[in-house]
This record gives sequence, structure tokens and C-alpha cells, in this order.
Amino acid sequence: MLRLIATRFALGLLTLLAVSVLIFICTQILPGDVASAVLGQQATPESLKVFRAELGLDKPAYLRYLQWLLGVLHGDFGKSLTNGRVIIDELAPRFINTLFLASYAAVIAVPLAVGLGILSAIREGRLTDRLANILTLIAISVPEFFVAYILIIVFAIKLAWFPSLATVDSDMGLGMRTYVAFLPALTLTLVVMAHMLRMTRNSVLSIMSTPYIEMAFLKGLTRSRVVAWHALPNALGPIVSVVALNLAYLVVGVVVVENVFVYPGVGQYMVDAVAKRDVPVIQACGLVFAAVFVTLNTVADILAMLANPRLRRRR
Amino acid sequence: MTIFGHRPPLTARIGLIVVAFYLLVALIGPWFAPYAQSQSVGDTWAPSSAQMWLGADQIGRDMLTRLIYGARTTIGIAAATTVLSFFIGITLGFTAAVLAGWVDVVLSRLVDVILSIPQLILALIILGVFGSSIPVLIFTIAIIDSTKVFRLARALGMNLAVLDYVEVARMRGEGLWWIIRSEILPNAMAPLISEFGLRFCFNFLFVAALSFLGIGVQPPFADWGGMVRENSAAINFGLFAPLYPAIAIASLTVGVNLVVDWLLSIDARPSGSQAEM
Amino acid sequence: MDHSNDKRGSGLIVDRRELMAGAAALGLGFSASSARAADAPKKGGTLRLGMEGGSASDSLDPRTYADSIPISYGWQLWNGLVEIGPDNNPVGELAESWEAKPGAKEWVFNIRKGVPFTSGKILDADDVIYSLNMHRGETKSGAKDLMAGISDIKKLGSHQILITLSSGDAGLPSIFADYHILIVPNNFTDWSKPDGTGAFELVTFEPGVRVVTKRKKGDYWKKDRGHFDGVELRYIPDAAARVQALISGQIDAANRLDAKTVSLVMKAPTVNVVRTKGTGNRFAWVALCDTDPYQSNDMRLALKYGIDRQKIIDNVYKGFATLGNDTTVAPSQKYFAKDVPQRPYDPDKAAFHFKKAGMADAKIELQVSEGAFSGATDCAVLYQEAMKKAGITLDVKRVSGDGYWSNVWLKAPFCAVYWGGRPSADNQLAQTFLSNANWNDTHWRRPEFDKRLLEARAELDDAKRGQLYAECQKMISEDGGMVCFAIGDYLDGYSKKVMGAAPHPHYDMCDQRVAEKGWFA
Repeated sequence: MLRLIATRFALGLLTLLAVSVLIFICTQILPGDVASAVLGQQATPESLKVFRAELGLDKPAYLRYLQWLLGVLHGDFGKSLTNGRVIIDELAPRFINTLFLASYAAVIAVPLAVGLGILSAIREGRLTDRLANILTLIAISVPEFFVAYILIIVFAIKLAWFPSLATVDSDMGLGMRTYVAFLPALTLTLVVMAHMLRMTRNSVLSIMSTPYIEMAFLKGLTRSRVVAWHALPNALGPIVSVVALNLAYLVVGVVVVENVFVYPGVGQYMVDAVAKRDVPVIQACGLVFAAVFVTLNTVADILAMLANPRLRRRR
Repeated sequence: MTIFGHRPPLTARIGLIVVAFYLLVALIGPWFAPYAQSQSVGDTWAPSSAQMWLGADQIGRDMLTRLIYGARTTIGIAAATTVLSFFIGITLGFTAAVLAGWVDVVLSRLVDVILSIPQLILALIILGVFGSSIPVLIFTIAIIDSTKVFRLARALGMNLAVLDYVEVARMRGEGLWWIIRSEILPNAMAPLISEFGLRFCFNFLFVAALSFLGIGVQPPFADWGGMVRENSAAINFGLFAPLYPAIAIASLTVGVNLVVDWLLSIDARPSGSQAEM
Repeated sequence: MDHSNDKRGSGLIVDRRELMAGAAALGLGFSASSARAADAPKKGGTLRLGMEGGSASDSLDPRTYADSIPISYGWQLWNGLVEIGPDNNPVGELAESWEAKPGAKEWVFNIRKGVPFTSGKILDADDVIYSLNMHRGETKSGAKDLMAGISDIKKLGSHQILITLSSGDAGLPSIFADYHILIVPNNFTDWSKPDGTGAFELVTFEPGVRVVTKRKKGDYWKKDRGHFDGVELRYIPDAAARVQALISGQIDAANRLDAKTVSLVMKAPTVNVVRTKGTGNRFAWVALCDTDPYQSNDMRLALKYGIDRQKIIDNVYKGFATLGNDTTVAPSQKYFAKDVPQRPYDPDKAAFHFKKAGMADAKIELQVSEGAFSGATDCAVLYQEAMKKAGITLDVKRVSGDGYWSNVWLKAPFCAVYWGGRPSADNQLAQTFLSNANWNDTHWRRPEFDKRLLEARAELDDAKRGQLYAECQKMISEDGGMVCFAIGDYLDGYSKKVMGAAPHPHYDMCDQRVAEKGWFA
């Protein structure tokens, strides 16, 4: 197992390198550059030239990449091209915010979705099953910003229980943060619930027709016991994989929710950087996101192996 | 009523009716639409009336007409993308699971890389390189989506690939394709169908998000996700406009998944189960 | 609200009385705050602004400013030489007075005395010269083109400078009201520690999230301004979120209210809406006059007659816009050509010119994007419908907002654009329509036009000057490649406790100076 983790760690670093190269190439393919993007409609050929020279964009692309890579290996993500601010200082608090919101939503959503999924499987076809499924499905039928609008109307305007602006800052205590970020966390919970709930329910149900489950029933065990002790452990693989996908989504895919609730996360930072072609910022955000993906996928693979001992034999 | 020799329960019948209804609308609806799809006939967000049953959209077009026309685009594109992404994702995912070793390493890391590139950048690159058309839209979504299907299919396949009967088939000298088709796929069907039902619905909204960037569906053509998006501001003031397309998406989502649940229950009906409706 | 357009008189924007009368007539919830402007302003409180128009890439360096949020914090921290008064004329800010020598080629500016920077340094001529030179010569400044006519700046005394132009320009002072041209101390380079003469000093700068400032100790050099203790400006890019935050009292003011829903916002009991008529963005399609099929003026006329401007204003802007007449000069501006008839929607004429152009098979593709201006796609779809009635097929292609200004605009033969209002008709026309203008987005080049515009610029006789500008506008309207169909209203929302908020002919949010102009009741 240790050797496996070590291998995966090495592969992970390799993946990050590949991602950084690929993102860099992408930014070079995208039309326009930081100078034309910042000056926008006001750009003139002369002012563009001056701006580019000031930023060192007149150097060849591979040289700029190698310079960047060298910096990163020394723990220096460089400065933003648009406003000269130190990237790590901007990124770090935003990344903490992003992780906070993702964990907040995950702490609510994962147990709730998996729990309801198991309950649905136990009570398949009954009212609880139907209701849980239909309600969560409706929540994913509208764009997430729309879910956000509706929650704002109900909880921020009509009831006035929570603020609609979730701008957290570093001075806020945990309690205050939890309160302020409640609506975005709830929105995200609604957005990711359906997928995990249905995968849990259906993976469990798919095991129910196998011979050993029939055997368990023949032994006279109750349905809930069979589901929890016999079916669930064997259905864990796909459940863990879908949970991992959704956790990854909570970290990297929430720019729309950040936008509506004015939550200072990495998503909006990156989108702004893409719009302005601020390559070092895009690179830094891309690396952070890639690291999250790689870690989550690795953890999911390892958990799947722990759940199914047969998988371990093969490596 | 029996279908494939099974008598569907009430919920499944509701689901079937909803899905059939929307398919019908998509196929022949435009012949019955009250107005032309891009014709502006009323006030912005006009309330419902005898002339316009569901009122008007954000520039005064008849909401019902837009919904009817939108069914074809929405359902057509979502179906095409989902089928394609499952084909790619399942094939590669099972291949990685069965062959394991370096094939698995390469495919899995490749997927990690693709998943790690922000979708916005990926979409912009595709837009820049391939231009904007419906086929490009379908391929873009299919490829982005297939990475997620891959993760699931691989996880399912790994669990199955280590079972005795697959080992036996392997020792028999069966080919990769045979093992996938005859041993893995049938046993992984249930979670995959379940995933299909959801991905199909996710794609309604994905289409809208990409159209907004300029990929694929072009104005004045309607798609439901785009209609929710374009009319969304109205909801803040208690106007119903964005709710109609939202209800269309929600009812189709629920309908599809009710059918999915029924298909699963046929597949997974243990004798000891007492839950029968 | 249907009669909101025929009320447009000539000349100025909705002034205070007309605003109140208009509000009563329209039954809208306009502010009474401006009417009580006579009440003495109170000091104190933190103004919480929620604004769109900025990003995480914003910088404090004024040379890179291009949107509302930087403009707003720029004028909190610094001052310009000149600002635009409520009657649309330049008034002195850090320049106390100025005088043009005959021919308007040489200008003497007198700098205000005793104005301190945050650092304690007192403003003098060297600071002004350094600040102006930041935008001249080799520079990335967005104001480079505006300043291109200046050939020399000389110090005459400790508080007096002489500016020499390469050719006469009677409108020079209003150029200095541009938001890029902020006055910083001589040799100032460290933008992370701004040092300005504005009412406020910087507390926190988190681009993309918030910008916090506080009032400086001691009296502000403008006796009647700078009442708030501090300002917290937050980036709220989502229009619906901005309005919700305003209605629920989490912010005190919001910019860029959505025209479609603004009449609903007015119903909220805690909110005032300030509307500045027809001074906002000029919404237009631009066709390249040197590219087929738009080389033919008949084709261009078909494009102009084929658009139903009123329908777009009613359905997309809910009446909160003014008819455009195919130039960027608005009826609210001085020297607007009143005698050029408003172009109507006339499908027959459009069909006639289209036929005359003799390009029945020509593919007319309009490229639009929400990145050009919000609502562009909806306007284009209505345009498409209107053209259909003239028997002309118009293809609408929606493109990505990402990189729109560098990839589509100035390159696509027919695409969407918006132009902001400029302080004078001269800037307005020169930046877009002069043959050698960098932003000549119609590739319309007429030496005759250039000659007249430069003549007007140097003309000190107001009537003659107006005549020349009118001729310029007529030429564009009859021959140019721009289909300017609407001029938006500026729509700001304020909490009822914010006083001193009034429409301004230059920019929204009280000329983006609400921070120093307003106060709490």
C-alpha cells in the first residue's frame, strides 16, 4: 500500500507538470494577450507595444514558461501581469475560502446524500424513496445561479435570516464565516445532492440481485440489515468515485455560485485572469485545481481498494 | 399495460408518459406552435393571456412557442452528447480496468489532466480552434463529460475485473472486447443506467452554459437551459417567465429518472424483497 | 412609460426639476433627496457601494483604468485637473483657472494652491507636469490618444503651466476631465501605496473583492465635499445579486441597474432610483465601409432603415433609452445636430436601398456578444426580425465575450459595439470617425470630414463651431457605417438614506464621485 501511494504521488507530480505545460500552451493558443485584454477597447498599437515590453512578453514563449517553472520549483508563483500583485498572497486566502466553502457544503451534502441514498434503497419504491429522488432531481434541473436566486429571495429577502452577500474575510471567526456562507453552502448542497444520492441508491440496488444477497435474505435478515451490512460495502466503488467527482466539483466548479454570492474564492480569480490573459495567475490557479483533482482521485482509488480486498492482489 | 413483459408500476408509467410527451413535442410540436419562434408578439415578460398562454419572454416572444421549438434542440443535443460521452467513457474506462498496468496509468492520468484544465479554458480553446457549430458543441460536451464517465466506468470495471468469472474468461484467452461486452458491461449496467439518466439532464444545462459562450445553439433558436438563463432576472420580482422552461427541464428530468428507476428495479429484483408496488 | 421617449427635448439631461416632474408624471419612485440638497450635509457613516465594472486584475495605476470600479476608487483617492460640472461644462478641480491664447493653440493653467497629498506634500506645477506626461509619448495609457495633440508642457511658475498644442483645440479643458488623468506627486511610481489629493486614503485594496478607503484627517480641500467617514466598495458583478443586496440593505448604492427590471426595483420602499437620460452607452452595430458588401452606401442605408429602434428600446430597454441617430453624439450633448432628421424604421426604404445595392445574395452576418454590451443578442434578434419585414436575411452569430475587443471588434465586417459618453462632441467624434483614429471601427475615411472637425476644434466662435459639428454629424449619419440605434440611460440605485445623489451628464453614480459628493440623512 505504501509503495502504491508513493507511486501515485510521483505520478501526481508528473500530472501536475503535464497540466502546467498544457495550460500554458492553451493560453498561447487563445487569441489576444494580457496587454490587449487589459487595455481592451482603449488599446492602440503603440500603447500595446509599450505594455508588452514592460511585462517581458516580447520574450519567446518557451523561455517565459521555463522561467515560470523555475520560479515555482523555488516556491515562487510570481506576480500578476495585470496589476503586479504577488500571486501567492492573493491566491492563498482565496484558496482557503474555496476549501472552506467546499468542506462546508460537503459536510452537509455527503452524509445527507449517502444516508438518504441508503434509506431510499432500503425503502425502494416507497414514498421516502420517491420524495427524496424527485426533490433532489428538481434542484438540479435549474442552473445553479437560479437555485441561488431562489434561496436569496426566500432566506435573505423574505425571511431575512441570512445575508445574500457572502463576502468572508480573514478577520472573521469561524462562527461568523459559517453564518455568512450558509446560503452558498446550501446552494452547493442542493446542486450536488442528486448525483450522490442516486448513485448510492442505485449501486446498492444493483447488488441486491446477486446470489449472496439472496442468501442473506434467506437467512431471514431484515432488508435494512442486508442493505447496510451486505450490499453497501460491495457497492462502495462507484459511490466513492461519484463522491470524489462531486467533491472536486465543489472545489473547482463553483465560480457561478461565488459570483452570485460575491464569495471571494479561487474560481472568480481564475475567470478574471482568463479574461485578462494573466498567464501566471491562470497557471497558479490551474496547478492548485489540478492538485485537488489528483489528490481526490488518488484517495478515491485507495478507498475503493480498501473496500474491495481483491483489488489489492493485482498490483 | 405491459412493456417487455413487465407491468410498469404507476411511477414508471408517469415517467413513460412524460418522456413520450416531450419526444412527441420535439418531433411534431413546431407544426402546432402558435407563433414563429423568433417573432416578438408582446411586451417584455407579458403575463399569460388568451393569446399567449404562458406569457412572453425577455423580448416579447411567445413563451409556449419557444418551449415547443426548444424541445427539439434541447432533447436532441442532450441525447446525442450523452450517448457519445458514454460510448467513449465506458469503452476507455473498462479497457483501463481490464488491462490495468500501464494502460490504466496512462488513461487515468490523461483523464486527470483533462479534468484539471478548467472547463472555461477548454471551451474557449475549442471555440477558437474549431469554430462554433452544433457538432462542435456535441463533441465538446461529449469529451468533457466522458472523463467523468471514465472515472465511474473504471471504478465499476475494477470491481468486476477481479471477480472469478472474469479471471476465468481471461485464462480462457478471451479478447478484451469480448470480456468487456459479455462479462463486465452486463454486470455494471445498473449504475451506468443511473448515471446516464442524470448526465442526460446535466447536459441540458451544460448546453445552455456553452451556448452562452458562443458555442453551438445560436439565436434565435431556443434551448430550455438558455431560456432559463435569459429570463432569470425576472424571478427576483416574482415573474414566472423563467419558471416555465425550468419546469419543462425538471419534469423531463424526473420523468427520465422514473423510467430509469423502473429499469433498475427489473434488473435488481431480489426474491426476498418486499417492496413491490 | 411609453411616452418616455417623446419627452426628449433638445439639449441637456434631465435636470432636477424635470426629474421630479418626470417622476411624478411617470409614477416612478424617484428620489426626493436631490430636492432637499439645500439641507446641510451631515458628516459620518461608511458608504457601502456595490458595483459592477471591474475584476481581480484591477490595478491602482490610472493608466490601466477602463471600467467603473477603478474610475470610482481613482476619484476617491486622487483628483483630476478638471471635472465636468452638472451643466456638462468643464469646471476647475486641481486647476483653479485656465486661459486660451487666441487660436487655442497655447493654454495657461493655474494650479490650485495649498492642496496637500496624503503624504503631506503640497501640490505644485511639477506634480501636474509629471502626471500629464505619464499619458504622453511611450506609454501604455488609455488616454494616450486624447493627449496626442499636446506638443509641449512647460512650467511658468510654481503653480502655473503652459500647454502647447500642435493645432488649436478649444475643448482642451474637458480632455483633462478624463478618468485616466489623475494628478500624482512628482516622480511617483509605487502604485501599491497611493498618494493623492482626494478626500479618502486607501485602507484595503483587494481587487475583485473590495476596496476600502477612509476619510483623511483634517479638512478636505473641497469645503462642500467628503462627508463619509469611509467607503467600502464591493465588486458585485451579478446584476440580480446587486439589486437584492440593495433592497435588503446590505449595500447603500448600486450601479448599472438592469433596465428590464428597474421599474420593479422602484417599488421597493427603501430604494431610490436615479436615472440619467440618454447619456449612457451608445449601442451600435458597425459595418466596415471598405469591406463588401458594406462598401455600397445603399447597403449601409438598408442596414440603417431596416432596424426598428423603438421596438428595441421598448422590449430590450423597457423605455430606459433614447433613440440613436447613427452617430455617437447624444441629444444631451452640446453641439448635437438637432436638424439632422431622426432616421425612422422604414422596411420599404430598406428594401429599396438593398435592391439598389444590387447584392441580393450577399451574406449579411452580424456578430454579437454579451461581452460587447449586455442585451446585444436580444437587440440583434429583434433587428433580424425587423430586417425580415424588408425581405433582407440577416444572420446573427453569437460569439464569446472573451477577447471580444481584441478578436472581433475592428476585425469582423459587421459587429456590435458600445461607445461611452465623452465630455465633448469633439472627443466623441474624433475618437471614432477621424480617418486616422485608432478606433475607427467603421473604416470610414473622409478627408472632408477630417477637415471640418479640425476646423471646428480651433474655432472659438460658438455658433460657427456648432455649425461645423452639425455638418460632421450629418455626413456620418448619411454616409457612415455605424447603425447607432439607442443611447442607454444611466440607472443607479440608492438607499433612501443616501443624500446628494443626482443625475450627472458625464457618468453614472454622480459622475462616479458619489463617495465625495454624497452624505447620509
